[in-house]
Amino acid sequence: MALPTILVDDEKCHDPLSCRKCLLVCPTRVLGLGTSVGPEKFKQIDPAFFVVRGVRFQFCTGCDKCVEVCPTHAIQISFDGGKLA
Amino acid sequence: MCVWCERYSQGHERWYLNPANYARRLYKVRKEEVESAGAEANPQAAGGMATVGRDYIEAMQANDHETVERLRTAAEQRSWAVHFGQVVTIEEIHQILEIIYPISLITCACRRSMRGLPDEENFTCVGMGPGMYKWERWPETYRGGVHFLTPDEGKEVIDVLNRRGLVHCMYTFGTPYLGGICNCDYPDCAGIRTAQDLGVKTLWKGHYVADVDSDRCNGCALCARRCQFDALSFSPSTQMAYIDPLKCFGCGLCRNVCKPNAIAMVERASLPAVAEVW
Repeated sequence: MALPTILVDDEKCHDPLSCRKCLLVCPTRVLGLGTSVGPEKFKQIDPAFFVVRGVRFQFCTGCDKCVEVCPTHAIQISFDGGKLA
Repeated sequence: MCVWCERYSQGHERWYLNPANYARRLYKVRKEEVESAGAEANPQAAGGMATVGRDYIEAMQANDHETVERLRTAAEQRSWAVHFGQVVTIEEIHQILEIIYPISLITCACRRSMRGLPDEENFTCVGMGPGMYKWERWPETYRGGVHFLTPDEGKEVIDVLNRRGLVHCMYTFGTPYLGGICNCDYPDCAGIRTAQDLGVKTLWKGHYVADVDSDRCNGCALCARRCQFDALSFSPSTQMAYIDPLKCFGCGLCRNVCKPNAIAMVERASLPAVAEVW
């Protein structure tokens, strides 16, 4: 079974907790919301450090719903191991 | 025997019924451990509730048992030292609510990570002990703040969450300090997912196993939607509930909706084949 490469462009993805469209649309909760700084005081609550990442890769069917729903086109998914820009 | 009871019950019936495991002095232990470990050592915060990384999933897919075993052991050791849970029944939660203070309703970190749930829709977690004063003092850090509850209000909240179909789990924050009653379901709870999807025991089975009395089961199938662990199915041949005792986590959710009282919670220790299946 193939695992996808999931790339989220943090430059394009602003405040994912307020947007959360990709998190809600994913049928199997492949994506997770975390922070790019870990448990660091006052940074972990700053939306500037919130990130969306692929977490449960083995459940991704490649339906591309998250790619389509993202208002800033920040998400790319590839199954053939091809390079993502 | 439950290793946590063995280590931490100190003569009480269960380790989570031992008031010492809710004692204030233990709270700092967690803080030092997590903060000294730093962001790198905490994939949960960095990667959205992931206890293990992509390397684990890749090793699983490649049937690389050696790597899976090594990564699993490391993840479990870290989890058991800092933050892991055990499933408990609603009766036990009611007992626990009589010994803890303060009791408060807080937001769920798992559902925030999995669904991006806004705070006002996300009050499904019960926090307890002195840590809750931090939630009160810094609501912007501990998103959503706290609602402090009396023991009776706590029981009401738990009853509502139980009717909604959520599994109650006691979670440590610096083992054996118990700081949270998580109310979990599949697929939105990271603990259940890690245990079920990856075989990493961040969530332990409880002290009971559900057992169906075929003379009493009327085949209504109300229980069928309650199991979060793939342990209960509705058998087309017998038109009755079927429970796999090896998969059952002993939460009692199926039992709680059974009108003819056909499901009993049996002590895990009384069944030799599952006594050590946690």
